[in-house]
Amino acid sequence: MKQTLSFTLNHKPYTIEADPCDRFLDVLRNDLSLRGTKEGCGVGECGACTIVINSNAVTSCLVLAGQADGADIMTVEGLSETEIGSVLQRCFIENGAVQCGFCTPGMLMSAYALLQHNPNPTREEIKEAIAGNLCRCTGYVPIVNSIEAAVKSLQS
Amino acid sequence: MKYKAYYRPQSVPETVELLASLEGPVVLFAGGTDILIYAREDDRYADSSIVNIFGLPELQGITLLDDEIRIGAGVTHTEIEQSPIIQKYAKVLADACRTIGSLQIRDHATIAGNICNASPAADSLAALAILDAKIEYLHEGKPCELPLVDLIAKPYKTVLTDRDLVTCIRIRRLPEGTQTVFYKLGRRKALAISRMTIALLAHRAADGTVDDFNITVGATFPKPYTFPEINGILLGKKPDPARIAEIAQAISAKIPEIAGIRKSTTFKQPVCRNMTARLLNELFTEA
Repeated sequence: MKQTLSFTLNHKPYTIEADPCDRFLDVLRNDLSLRGTKEGCGVGECGACTIVINSNAVTSCLVLAGQADGADIMTVEGLSETEIGSVLQRCFIENGAVQCGFCTPGMLMSAYALLQHNPNPTREEIKEAIAGNLCRCTGYVPIVNSIEAAVKSLQS
Repeated sequence: MKYKAYYRPQSVPETVELLASLEGPVVLFAGGTDILIYAREDDRYADSSIVNIFGLPELQGITLLDDEIRIGAGVTHTEIEQSPIIQKYAKVLADACRTIGSLQIRDHATIAGNICNASPAADSLAALAILDAKIEYLHEGKPCELPLVDLIAKPYKTVLTDRDLVTCIRIRRLPEGTQTVFYKLGRRKALAISRMTIALLAHRAADGTVDDFNITVGATFPKPYTFPEINGILLGKKPDPARIAEIAQAISAKIPEIAGIRKSTTFKQPVCRNMTARLLNELFTEA
């Protein structure tokens, strides 16, 4: 039962036909072929599918497609076009924050949402912001270091 | 998710009209962070009409009233946690909301959703209970109201029908100088389902006697409870170690009394007794 859904995705207007009761994660990956957003647990515990909707980090496996109608959405595919996003990506690479890479899009989106709300977070605030993102490679220290480096880089 | 039909009304009156016209089961879908998980388990919503009420303007906003605070049903846990009104006049609820799920869930899940899902482990419920939360809802378009402790009947079950639309939650606006504590015991710091929560508020008069006190334990009983007789142990009196021990003993005795003897009782009872005593001792010796 497809319906017309309109939203802004990565700063571009979209009008698509999609099932409003699909998970928005599936609309992104299947209908729009944007596969940067990953599915891990599917129950909102791992954070791999984190995207930013109306400036808030949310797990897209727990968002109904119909809820995206009218929303302003950012996924990992749009990060490089933003200043915060491109600096975060560079700092993740430079600080060795990417091992297998599966958690990376979600980590980046949580970090992006944090830096939008709070341009000067403490290390503790960074840890809290990514508390909902699991890294099975357990490379949390380089990830936190990368976000700290991005904060410094953005300030200079 | 399998479903019968999907609707997205634009206002509360439109929702009421729609609900009256629908046949068969209805799912009022707000944040939906619990519903989408249930939908993975089976096709339980295959015959249901999904009514997306997320973002309805009338269900937004946190407002300060004369001696209460009104929280719109669609307010998210993050909005409560960050609200200056809640932080100033009902801090225990901000602290409780901060412990729920992950940031990503708190950003999306709504307070009325947390109440209506009625999980016995829901972190907001103990805090709402001691703040005398009242739930306003529309039943066939008529405004109704119930205290939280009467709204939740048993685990995962409220007394509401599938067409009753919760519009707001009213809680106490605590007088200045009221101290509050929210303690959560989980398996780890983030993203943990509560094993036990303790919520309490206390206010002392100029002479040191306690003139306002309410304590309860969450994630322990099938539904939220408050205990006026236990609060009475401290009300009108000065807090001392003997009275604190008496409260800790009385509240932990409620665990087998209400929830029955379970495997977890041998663990929960002493934890409840010791943590209650510790929190009260810290609270009353601090200031």
